[in-house]
Amino acid sequence: MRPATAFTRPGRILPGRATSLAILAATLCAAPILAVIWIGLSGETGDYLRHLAGTRLPTYLATSALVGLIAAGGAGLIGTGLGWLMARTDFAGRRTLGWILILPLAVPAYVAAYAWLDLSTAGGPLHAATGGLFPTIRGSWGAGLMFALVLYPYVYLLARNTFSSQSADAYNAARTLGAGPLTAFWRTSLPMARPAIAAGLALVVMESLADYGTVSHLGAPTLSIGLIRAWSGAGSLVDAARLSLVLVFIAMLVFGLERAQRRRARSVNAAGRHKPSPRIRLSGLPALGALTACLLPLALGMVIPLGRLVWLAAHTETAPGLAAASWHSLTLAAITALIAAALGLATAYALRSRTAIATLAARAAGLGYAVPGAVAAVGVIAILSGTQSLLDPAWRAITGEVFPILLTGTGAALVFAYLSRFAAAAISPAETALTRVTPSLDGAARTLGASRGQRVWHIHWPLIVAGVTSAGLLVFVEVLKELPATMILRPFNYDTLAIIAHNFASDERLGEAALPSLLIPLVALLPMIFVARYLSRQDR
Amino acid sequence: MKSVKLLAFAASLAVAACSQPADEVSETPQVVNVYSARHYSSDAAIYAAFTEETGIEVNLVSANGDQLIERVRADGERSPADVIITVDAARLHRAEEAGLFAQTDFSDLTGSVPANLVDPEGYWVSFAKRSRVIAWSNTRVQPGEITTYEDLADPQWQGRICVRGSGNAYNQSLLASLVAHLGEEGAQAWAQAIVDNMARDPQGGDRTQINGIAAGECDVAITNHYYYAMMVNSDDPAAQAAAAQVTLFFPNQDTTGAHVNVSGAGIAVNAPNTDNARALIAYFFSDTAQRAFAEMTNEIPVRTDVSWENPTLAAMLPFVEDDLNVSDLGDHNETAQRIFDRVGWQ
Repeated sequence: MRPATAFTRPGRILPGRATSLAILAATLCAAPILAVIWIGLSGETGDYLRHLAGTRLPTYLATSALVGLIAAGGAGLIGTGLGWLMARTDFAGRRTLGWILILPLAVPAYVAAYAWLDLSTAGGPLHAATGGLFPTIRGSWGAGLMFALVLYPYVYLLARNTFSSQSADAYNAARTLGAGPLTAFWRTSLPMARPAIAAGLALVVMESLADYGTVSHLGAPTLSIGLIRAWSGAGSLVDAARLSLVLVFIAMLVFGLERAQRRRARSVNAAGRHKPSPRIRLSGLPALGALTACLLPLALGMVIPLGRLVWLAAHTETAPGLAAASWHSLTLAAITALIAAALGLATAYALRSRTAIATLAARAAGLGYAVPGAVAAVGVIAILSGTQSLLDPAWRAITGEVFPILLTGTGAALVFAYLSRFAAAAISPAETALTRVTPSLDGAARTLGASRGQRVWHIHWPLIVAGVTSAGLLVFVEVLKELPATMILRPFNYDTLAIIAHNFASDERLGEAALPSLLIPLVALLPMIFVARYLSRQDR
Repeated sequence: MKSVKLLAFAASLAVAACSQPADEVSETPQVVNVYSARHYSSDAAIYAAFTEETGIEVNLVSANGDQLIERVRADGERSPADVIITVDAARLHRAEEAGLFAQTDFSDLTGSVPANLVDPEGYWVSFAKRSRVIAWSNTRVQPGEITTYEDLADPQWQGRICVRGSGNAYNQSLLASLVAHLGEEGAQAWAQAIVDNMARDPQGGDRTQINGIAAGECDVAITNHYYYAMMVNSDDPAAQAAAAQVTLFFPNQDTTGAHVNVSGAGIAVNAPNTDNARALIAYFFSDTAQRAFAEMTNEIPVRTDVSWENPTLAAMLPFVEDDLNVSDLGDHNETAQRIFDRVGWQ
């Protein structure tokens, strides 16, 4: 069934303002990447890329593909399974687990990698305890596994949201027609959830490919390793910029696939939210099984790696400056999350207008997610310093000096870089949430004489608030973990938790890295509790 | 929504305002703005002592050397950077090539520093040394079996060597030194042989390699000397136990000397506080700072006339150092990187 588009065009709500905000979002997100591309295209041509093509490039590409696939497969399996359990079943502990399951997202993948390699490497406790039977977590498999374990919440959040809003009709119909619960799930619930799962997987894949810390520590030479090597090894920012074009291309491909999924599923989702299915109550063995299914990824992604760090921390002096760093992390993440959620929502609204410019804006905004933070930061620097240079002549005419350094190396530059990297993470969830606002709902409200504002506030907002807060939360956690852009763009004397954790961890001083690493999920807990409470209030 | 955005903007401005170097207001204290690739706890202590003695406040940004170089380069004339510090000679060289350093007469500081550790053109100075050396298993390797880096290329070490990835600056500089000594072909043959002799794909940092020996996964490793010293001096019994199974050996004592890399600094060409910058760099050569390097980070002070207490480090000294000028490491860095690519050293 096609949605009733003849009734009313969905995008007619706030078309102008949403589109201009979407364009702003796209500009913010895409500008640094475009600057990097410009650096790549305008620089001198050397023979480095030819050298690379003849040596390591095939390895980089193959490793990237393998790491991305393992991460997506693992995160898809864990995230979809847990999302369904949380949305459709009930068992002891479910309510608490609902938001705890998001927490591994706050564990930086490189922190998990440092801890797991330390545990499982030759001579580590796991290696020793199992007589060398426990495999060392390393290489492409190890890195893919780390990403799956800490990034599955992307899929989980979006899948849970979709499963819980799905109408029970199709599932029940399938059951009535004789399908078992699994078959019914496979044939009805899962296809309906596919756009949400695809949106989550796209984020997982992009983040895995843009990562540097994890893959370099575990020895999985992905393209981002090649890119940083081109920069640091050969000293050529230009060649690194050119390599980042490949990543941008992959990002376009991944997001294109995701959108194809969304289009295919559009007609199915029109059912809206009229009859949520009752939860399947689990007890006894099935309840135990569900509990285990929830606790296992939590243990592997969070409890065990952080537990190892706690154990190490107990043997180490506490690093100074953690309180200030926590505050910095918290404020930066909160500011960015609020702006990103607003921009994401605006883009999602603009997309409903289905105008070419809105679509272009949404695609462009997604690009920021494609490149490693270090490269995005270079783009930010190029733009900000370029702007300052542009202002120089006018400023010199007035004051006789160069334009002061206002833009680079300030909190504003950081927020810019974060938005450029992560605003894309806010678009997909917001867009998925908006699919719950069906054209027929809008039409009905209009027929009943509801004003534009009334429709948005009374009809749209209650339906989308869960998705939009999830979007903000994703960005919040991303910013807490972000490392390379923070490092290069931050103001003087300004540490974040991720920076302190990384500085120690990269020296393999895991004991000192432990406490700041632990504080990252703890800081993330604050907004998560807030959001969880807000959402459960909404559900009532 | 409007108020939220306003709040966000105000907060970002507040962050911006706090970060502005305050040297434009007349009564504010003297400052020096430091861009450092070092992130060791010793440095915080040194800066605190420096401020105590001189009244000059230290503003610090630390990041990877290449990133710092890019930021200073992009900020150009308006860069607030006074001092740029890196932990690898090749990065110092790169900053110099990018025109970020002001030529400075450091001769009063470097009197007792070997000439090969000083930039001949005076763009930067080294204030602490680290040597990249060989570690071996006490039980599976006999003293005398290895005397040089070149020995590691022998097929008898097949499947017995642990070493970290080639993205690491210390590996790049070690290979750059071999390019200088053996030529590009010789260095490539060496790198190829090491790859053939690896016990496992490169992973982890230098400590991971030492642990690999202790666990029996390999017999020989390449590591910076201070990682071993850190493990010996560690509070963690497991680290101590691993280090106890390993001998640290400074190779090439009868030939070219053990490979040495440096922590170094230069004054930014657009430094707003040149005098303070020089004062800070001079302070790195003070007894206090040199002692801190030896005692807190297990680095080797460049001054030999300073006393310090660190038995683990003291036991390693003296050794014959490669007298290649460390700026040559920068010259050969790209060649080294390409060799790594060609031989498939991850």
